[in-house]
Amino acid sequence: MELKRLIREPTNLFMMILFPAMLTLVFGLSFSSIESGIPGVSQFEVMAPGLFSYACIFIIMTVAQAFTDEREQGLLERINTTPTTSGEFMGSHLISNTIISVLQVIIVFALSVALGYRPQGGALGVLFAFIFIIFLSLCSVGLGLITATVAKSAGAATGISFIFILPQMFFGTFITITSTTRIIASFLPSFYVTDALTLIFNGASVISPKVLTDLLLISIIGAIIVGLGIFIYKRYSRA
Amino acid sequence: MSTDLNNGIAITIKNLVKKFDNIIAVNDLSFDVKEGEIFGLLGPNGAGKTTTIKILSGLLKPTSGTATVGGYDVNKDIQQVKKLIGVCPQHAAVYKFLTGRENIELFGNLHTMEKKELKSRIEYLLETANFTESSKRKVKGYSGGMLRQLNLLISLINNPRIAFLDEPTVGMDPRARRATWEFIGSLKEQNKTVILTTHYIEEAEALSDNVAIIDYGELIALGPPKVLMEKHNSKNLEEVFMKITGRRILEGI
Repeated sequence: MELKRLIREPTNLFMMILFPAMLTLVFGLSFSSIESGIPGVSQFEVMAPGLFSYACIFIIMTVAQAFTDEREQGLLERINTTPTTSGEFMGSHLISNTIISVLQVIIVFALSVALGYRPQGGALGVLFAFIFIIFLSLCSVGLGLITATVAKSAGAATGISFIFILPQMFFGTFITITSTTRIIASFLPSFYVTDALTLIFNGASVISPKVLTDLLLISIIGAIIVGLGIFIYKRYSRA
Repeated sequence: MSTDLNNGIAITIKNLVKKFDNIIAVNDLSFDVKEGEIFGLLGPNGAGKTTTIKILSGLLKPTSGTATVGGYDVNKDIQQVKKLIGVCPQHAAVYKFLTGRENIELFGNLHTMEKKELKSRIEYLLETANFTESSKRKVKGYSGGMLRQLNLLISLINNPRIAFLDEPTVGMDPRARRATWEFIGSLKEQNKTVILTTHYIEEAEALSDNVAIIDYGELIALGPPKVLMEKHNSKNLEEVFMKITGRRILEGI
């Protein structure tokens, strides 16, 4: 159903597929010929892992809008009159939105490769990278649920979701961070994912202590955010 | 198998109370609904009709009192209750980006229906309601009447033994309303128990075997429409409704 929503609602289709694809295209065309300071590595190649994380963040807004809209339309209440439990319903949303988020990253990844990005690490590296992406997507869905709990309407959800989107975008994706912003970044899930993807795609072993530390941290943050998201949505949302 | 249904009683409400902070929405409500009857639940705006339906369908917990649906206590066995019921909410709760058919199918899946059973039930409902062609279109383009029709069909997808229809015909044109009356009437022939709330008193008079009139959350009249009309010396149910709810206003109750 979420896939149908994505395809049939033009705003969703733009935000979830066309926007990240266009951004990758623009970044690729603009920065692939600019030197990064590392010999033989373009600025686009430095930014690419951050772009993959960036693609996952926008699902916060989509999830928040979808849940708020379903609540406003009385759909959540109607679903509550069926034998399907709220846990099953939340679980299906969590899985389907995570799949959509991963699909977005696949599109951005494929476009980046088409634009000359050559990640190292082989198939195992790519597989590991997508494990990180799954964790970040789950975090985003959890943050979407938190946003939906607070928001009174789908319009408000859009605005509130940027509280979670902007810091992650500026301090945890493709924008270079300073020693000051690093402190803020250490609280953001996207920072650990971008860090791990950068390491993996630059050839670091997937079982290197740094990558495994990132994996441990993102899995802990992910579990906390998803758990908190489900808890406060079920507890405080007027479903 | 529920004992209440064996005894011919589908729903039992005993001393039901629901308070929202200091507001009493349902006040010591008690009545039974027989199996296979259409039971009209009438009352002015804010009388507590929707709150009662929400309690019976597990959306709200009562403050005190008990209610059983199909023999299952709504406080203790709500998952069992949900397997028996179909709920048509007051506002059409449907996914606008899906087609009518997809909406019905989705709710059939939420009722964990078998694929084959679901398909044949959809065909049956669409044909009976003459909605097959409309169901192929996205809901976004539906008129108000079509939305109400879809809203009703969704509530019946699981072939419920007990249906709660909360103002199912509001906003429909007279022709669509008449067609929906026939459709609701056909549920009785299938031995379904229906609780119908409506502001169209003539609708309740035409369809209901028994009606309960509630006001300020309290039961103020109960019985078959004809009996109530005789008792209150009225020529129709609307007159009964106006007399007893109007009197309460005049008496300042």
